[in-house]
Amino acid sequence: MNQASISPSKFSSRFKSFFRGNLGGWIVILAMVLLPFITSLISGQSISNLLANESGMAKFVQGLAIEIFILALYALSYDLILGVTGLLSFGHAMFFAVGAYLTGILLKSFGWSLWATLGMVLVAAIIQAILFAVVLPRVQGVTFALVTLGIASVFYIVIQSHEMSAYAGADVGLQGVVAPEFINAADHRMRFYFVTLGLLIGMYLLYKRFVNSPTGRVCIAIRENEKRALMLGYNTFYFKLIALTLASITAALAGCLHALFQPIVSPHTASMGFTIAALLMTLIGGVGTLSGALVGAAIYRLLEYGLKNIFGEQATFLLGVVYVLIVLFLPYGIIGTWKLRALQIRSGWQRLIGLVTGKPKQA
Amino acid sequence: METLLEVRDVHTFIGQYHILQGVSLKVRKGGITALLGRNGAGKTTTLKTILGLTPPRQGEVIFADQPIHEMRSFDIAALGIGFVPEQRAIFRDLSVEENLKIAERKRGDLRRKQEMIFSLFPDLQRLIHLPGTHLSGGQQQMLAIARALVADNRLLLIDEPSEGLAPVIIEQLILAIRQLSAETTILLVEQNFIVAGQLAEDYVIIEEGQSVKTGKMAALVKDEQIIHRYLGAA
Amino acid sequence: MTSFVLYLRKNRTLLITASVLLLLLLLAIQGMETQDWVVTVLRSLSVAAVTFLVASGFSLIFGLLDVLNLAQGTLFMIGAYVAWTVYIRPDTFIDILTPFCFLIAGFTLLPLWDFLASRLTGKKILVRLWPWVGLLLAGFVLLFALRAYPITIWNPGVYSQSPGTYSLFADTGTRLIPPAETFGDGSAVLVLGGILLGSFLLAFSLAGLQNNRNAARVRKSLRLPWAYSVAFLAVFLVGLLVHLFNTPLTTAIVGLGSTWLFFIAILVALLTGVLLGSLIESTLIRPLYSRPIYQLMITLGLSAVGIELVRAIWGRPEFTMPKPEIFNGAGVNCPATTLAGVFQDHCSTILFMDSRIRVYNEIFIPLVGLIVLIGIWLLLQRTRIGMIIRAGVQDREMVEALGINVRRVFTFVFALGVGMATLGGALAGPSMGISTAMGESLLLNALIALAIGGLTSFPGAAVGSLLVGLMQQFIIKYGQIGIQLPFLAEPFKPTPPLVPASTVLLMVIILLVMPRGLLGRKE
Repeated sequence: MNQASISPSKFSSRFKSFFRGNLGGWIVILAMVLLPFITSLISGQSISNLLANESGMAKFVQGLAIEIFILALYALSYDLILGVTGLLSFGHAMFFAVGAYLTGILLKSFGWSLWATLGMVLVAAIIQAILFAVVLPRVQGVTFALVTLGIASVFYIVIQSHEMSAYAGADVGLQGVVAPEFINAADHRMRFYFVTLGLLIGMYLLYKRFVNSPTGRVCIAIRENEKRALMLGYNTFYFKLIALTLASITAALAGCLHALFQPIVSPHTASMGFTIAALLMTLIGGVGTLSGALVGAAIYRLLEYGLKNIFGEQATFLLGVVYVLIVLFLPYGIIGTWKLRALQIRSGWQRLIGLVTGKPKQA
Repeated sequence: METLLEVRDVHTFIGQYHILQGVSLKVRKGGITALLGRNGAGKTTTLKTILGLTPPRQGEVIFADQPIHEMRSFDIAALGIGFVPEQRAIFRDLSVEENLKIAERKRGDLRRKQEMIFSLFPDLQRLIHLPGTHLSGGQQQMLAIARALVADNRLLLIDEPSEGLAPVIIEQLILAIRQLSAETTILLVEQNFIVAGQLAEDYVIIEEGQSVKTGKMAALVKDEQIIHRYLGAA
Repeated sequence: MTSFVLYLRKNRTLLITASVLLLLLLLAIQGMETQDWVVTVLRSLSVAAVTFLVASGFSLIFGLLDVLNLAQGTLFMIGAYVAWTVYIRPDTFIDILTPFCFLIAGFTLLPLWDFLASRLTGKKILVRLWPWVGLLLAGFVLLFALRAYPITIWNPGVYSQSPGTYSLFADTGTRLIPPAETFGDGSAVLVLGGILLGSFLLAFSLAGLQNNRNAARVRKSLRLPWAYSVAFLAVFLVGLLVHLFNTPLTTAIVGLGSTWLFFIAILVALLTGVLLGSLIESTLIRPLYSRPIYQLMITLGLSAVGIELVRAIWGRPEFTMPKPEIFNGAGVNCPATTLAGVFQDHCSTILFMDSRIRVYNEIFIPLVGLIVLIGIWLLLQRTRIGMIIRAGVQDREMVEALGINVRRVFTFVFALGVGMATLGGALAGPSMGISTAMGESLLLNALIALAIGGLTSFPGAAVGSLLVGLMQQFIIKYGQIGIQLPFLAEPFKPTPPLVPASTVLLMVIILLVMPRGLLGRKE
C-alpha cells in the first residue's frame, strides 16, 4: 500500500534518481539499440537497405554482437553460481551445451515447434541443475568442482560418441539446424538481434533483482560463510539449488539461441575449454559483479576475433597468455577494479576537470 | 631489568579487519609475563604478530635488541622463539617422537633435550611411538609444550594452555610451566585468571586490540576492581 | 580385542564400502574366462599406474599447498612429448641443451642478483619500474639470441619432416637424423654471449620484482654460498662443452641404441617436470597464495597455454612412440613363457595363465608405478622433509612457527608432483600414443581417482587410481564380450561412452556415501 500513496511528484523524482543512478546502463542499452543503424550509417548503407536485411558491415556487426550477447548470457549465469553463490563448478559448459544440442536435435530430428522445444529446454535445464545438486548436501568446495567436471566430461564424451552421431553429429558437431522462419537469423538478422538483446537485458535485470532479493542475499551469505548461514537457520542446499537452477536455465537459453544462430553446434561447447571461457569472461569483468560478466563477454569475443584476425592460429595461445596475465595483475577484473577504485578515479577525474576549467574542486 | 621482547604500538590487520589497534608490551628476561584480556581482545593475534604469522602493518617488534617485525616467521622462530599454539595444535598424523623431532633446528637437538623433556613430562616417554590422534587432551598439551622445548628457545609463547583441561591436569601443567620459567622467558596467554595469577610476575591487559594496562601480578591479584573491569568475573 | 572392535566400529562405512567393491570385483571376474580377466586385471594395473603418477603428484600438491593443479594433465602430455623428442630425435635434444644451460645459468646466481637488486635504491618510481624495463630488455635479447642459435628440428607442416614420419622410421629400426643446422652469418660467441646476457638480465629483473613485492626492503648482505657458484660453473661448462662437442655427442647418443635412449628420455622428462614445476611454483603460484581461487585459475590458464604451445611446436596430428628394443623383441622364442625368457629374448609379450600379456604395458608400467609408490611412501614416512610435508598438510602455520621454511618445501613438493606427472607421460607415450588430447582424459581419470580415494590422502590416490583402472578396463572388456543380464535375451554390451560414465558414477556414489572419499580425513 505504501507504493500507492507516493505522490506523483515524489514518484517522478524517484524515477529520476533511478534513472540517474543507472545512467551508464541506459547509455549502454541505447547504444546497443542504435548499433545496427550507426554501423550502417558509418559504412554508408541506407537504413532501408539495412531493414531489408542486405548483407554488409551492419549485418556483420550485428552477428558479432549477437554472439557477444549469447556469451554474455552464458557468462552471467556462471557469475551467479561462482561470483554470487560461491559454488565452483567445472561443468558449466554442459548447461550451455544441453540447451544448444537439445534445441538442435528437437528442431532437426524430431521436427518439434520452437515453443515446444523451448519448453523442453527449460525442463532439461531444471533436471540437469538437480543432477548437479544431488551431491551438494554432502560435498563442498573442490570436491563439488570435481564432481561437476566428471558429469560434464561424461556428457562431452557421450555427445561426441559414435552411437549418438545420427543426432549429434559426433565430433564434427550438429549441423543443419533450420530455425523457424520468423526468427531465422539469416533472413531476419535484425529481429534476432533485438530478441537476443531483449533477452539479455531482461535476464540482467532479473539477476540484479535476484541478487538484491532476500534469496539472493542468502546466496551471498553462503559465499561469504556457509557455516554461519547454516547456523542462522537457512537450509543452504535449497538456496544453492535455486541459484544453480536459475543459472542452468539461463545458460540453456543461451545455448538455445546459439543453436538457432550458428550453422553448427560444435562439441567444443560442451568441453572443459568452454567452461574455462566462462571463467575467463567473468574474470575479465570481475567476479561477482554481474555487469562484469557482460563486459567480460564483450572483451573476450572482441579480443578473440581481433587476435584471430591478426595472428591466425596462434590466437588461442595468446588468449591463454592474456588470461594468465589478467589473473596475475588484474585480480578483481575490470568492473571489480573500477568499483574498488571508483572514488580515486572520480577524484582524479575532477582534478583533471579542475585543471582544464581552472576551478579547483574541493574533495 | 633487562627486556627480552618489546612490542611497540603494533597494528595488525586480518583481511580487512583491524584486529590490533596499538598494542605495546615489554617482556622482562626471565620469568613469566601474562597476557590477559577477554575473548576476542586480540591476545592470540598479538602472539601471532610477534611470530610474524600475521605480520603487523605498523609498529615495531624487537627481540633481543633486534627488530623482527619485517622478518619472515620461520626466521623469527629460528632466532629462538618457541610457540605453543592454542587448542593444543600438535600434528595429529605424526607420532609423538616425530612431533618432537620436527622441532629440531640442529641435528641431535632432541637427543640433548630428551632427558629434560621426559623428566618434565614423564607421560610422553611412555607414549613415544603413539600417533598424535591417540593422545588425551592433557597429553596433547604436554606434547605441544615439549615440542617448543626441543630447540634452544629463549622465549616461549604459550597460548591458553589450560583451556578445556581437567583441574588435576592443570595443576601438573602449572608445575611444569613454573619449572620451565627458571630457564626461559615465557609470554603466557591465559583466560583462566587463577592459573595466570599463580604463574606470572608481570601482566599486560589487552582490550579491543589495545594494550590498556600493565603492571605487577602481585598488585593485580589484590585489585578486584581492575579484574572485574577488564577481565569480567575473577 | 576391544581395540579391534573399536576399529571396526570407527571405520564401519569404509569397511562396508570396501567389501561391496570387492564383491563387485569378484562378480565381474566370475563372469569372465580366466584368460580374459587376467589380462583385464593387468591392464587395469597399467592404467592405474599411469593415473596414479598424475594423481599422487596432484594429491601431494593439493595437500600441502592447497593448490588444485589443473595443469597436471597438460604437464603429463608435455612429459610424453619431451620423452619423444629425446628418444626419436636425440640430435635436437643435444642442440637444445646448450641454450638451455646458458639460459638457466643466470638463475644459479640468484643470491647475487638479489643482493644487487636490494642495493638499487632511489626514486620510488624508478625502483618500481626498472625490473619491468629489464624484463623487456631481456625478452628482446633472448628473442634474438635464441633464434640465432641453430637447432635441428622437425617441421610439422611438411609431411616428410613431421614428427609422425620420424616415428615411423624409428619404428622400422632406422633412426632418421636430418643434417645438422649450423650457424649462419652470426658469430657463435656473440649468440652464446647474448643468451647468457639475456639470462642474467632476466634473473636480475625477476629478483628486483621479487624485492619490490616484499613490502619490507631489508638491506641484504652478499652471501653467495659456494654451492651456487659451483652450480653456475657446472651449468656453464656443460653448456659450453655440449656446444663444442655437439657433433660427436650426437653420434654417440644415437649410437647408444633405443633401450638406453629410452631410459635417458624418461629421465630427461622427469627432470623437465621437476624444473618446470619449480619454475611454475616460484613465479606464478607463489604470488597468489593469498588468493587461492586465482591459483586454480592460473593452473587452468597454464593448461590451455601448454596445449597450444605443444601444438605449435610438435603439430596437431597424433603420432606413435615406438617401444624400445628391450620390450619389442619378436624372435622365435616369443612369446616367452617365463620371466627368464623375457629377459633373454626381450620378448614383447609373455604367456601367463593362457593369456598374452604385453611386457611393456602390463608389466613394466605397473612396476614403475609400484616403485614410485614405495619411493614416495618412504620419502614421506622416513625422511625429515617427508615429516615436514605430513605436518604441513595438517597445519602449515605451525610448521613455520617451528622455524622451518615451508615455502622451500612447497617448491620441492610442487616440483616433485609435476615431475611425477611428466614421468607418467613419458611412460605412457609408447603405450597410449602421443597426442595433445592425452592429458585431458588422464586428468579426468586422476581427478576421479582422487575424489574416490580422498583428495589429500597419498594412499587414497593409489587406491582411487586402482579402482578407476579396474572399473574402466572391466567395462571395456565387457563391451567386447557382453554381460549376461537377467531378463535380457541378448548379452548387454557396454558402449565406449559408458567407460568414463561408469567411473563418474562410481565417484558420485562413493562421495554420497563418504563425502571425503575412501581414505580422506574426517575434519
